[in-house]
Amino acid sequence: MEFILGHYNYWVVIFLMMAGLYVVVARGNLVKKIVGLNIFQVSVFLLYISMGKVAGGTAPILVDEPVVYSNPLPHVLILTAIVVGVATTALGLALVVRIRESYGTIEEDEIQVANAADDLLEENRP
Amino acid sequence: MKHHLILRVVTKMLIPSILLFALYVQFHGDFGPGGGFQAGVIFAAAFILYAIVFGLETARRVMPTWLLQSLIATGLILYAGVGFVGMFLGGNYLNYTVLTGHAHSGQHIGLLLIELGVGITVSTVMIAIYFSFASRTPRMGDEDW
Repeated sequence: MEFILGHYNYWVVIFLMMAGLYVVVARGNLVKKIVGLNIFQVSVFLLYISMGKVAGGTAPILVDEPVVYSNPLPHVLILTAIVVGVATTALGLALVVRIRESYGTIEEDEIQVANAADDLLEENRP
Repeated sequence: MKHHLILRVVTKMLIPSILLFALYVQFHGDFGPGGGFQAGVIFAAAFILYAIVFGLETARRVMPTWLLQSLIATGLILYAGVGFVGMFLGGNYLNYTVLTGHAHSGQHIGLLLIELGVGITVSTVMIAIYFSFASRTPRMGDEDW
């Protein structure tokens, strides 16, 4: 029981990861898919940051006597990953805006219907 | 001014606090959570709030395109420039110690300048992303929302 309660951060990570994956797969609205992708990214950030915590550790600044400090490397990596996530989200939303202008909708099934109709038109062209 | 009176008044009260909080987060990156990227995003959030409530054209008058382009480049040049100053003063690229001669103050000033460059670039990039999204959607009248 202490094993389950002591590792609760991993349970949170698993829950968020599966929730994000479900939203990406199961929702047809393109913006909701991007939101699900963001939830998935947050779960990965939580995994690394919660694993990188040193109990009783302070900031890694050089002082006279030796102290217990937390490793700055996971924090720096996740900061970079957050910036990358923001850029990816912006790119995804720009694509959604362009799809909206081109198809008039952002529902995946309607876009597939429009694409299938276009393909049929292309095939039947002499 | 009749439409969305509460929104406009509350926004006018909130925007200075948001900007001040962004500056606080920027300069306390050494001692606590914060730094360039977080502060840049909060700073941009104030401008985006202004653009949402008061309209895109008004926000473009506050932050014109030429200013956005110049500031994006300025932040990057500040970051790279601090590295080159370290090289010109005798050390390696991005060597902070040679900036003032002492290790403690050199690291301090080096990190402050670098984070300032990151903050400027990040905030103007977020504002530019929002402006380029918002200018593509059809304009809604004031009574429509």
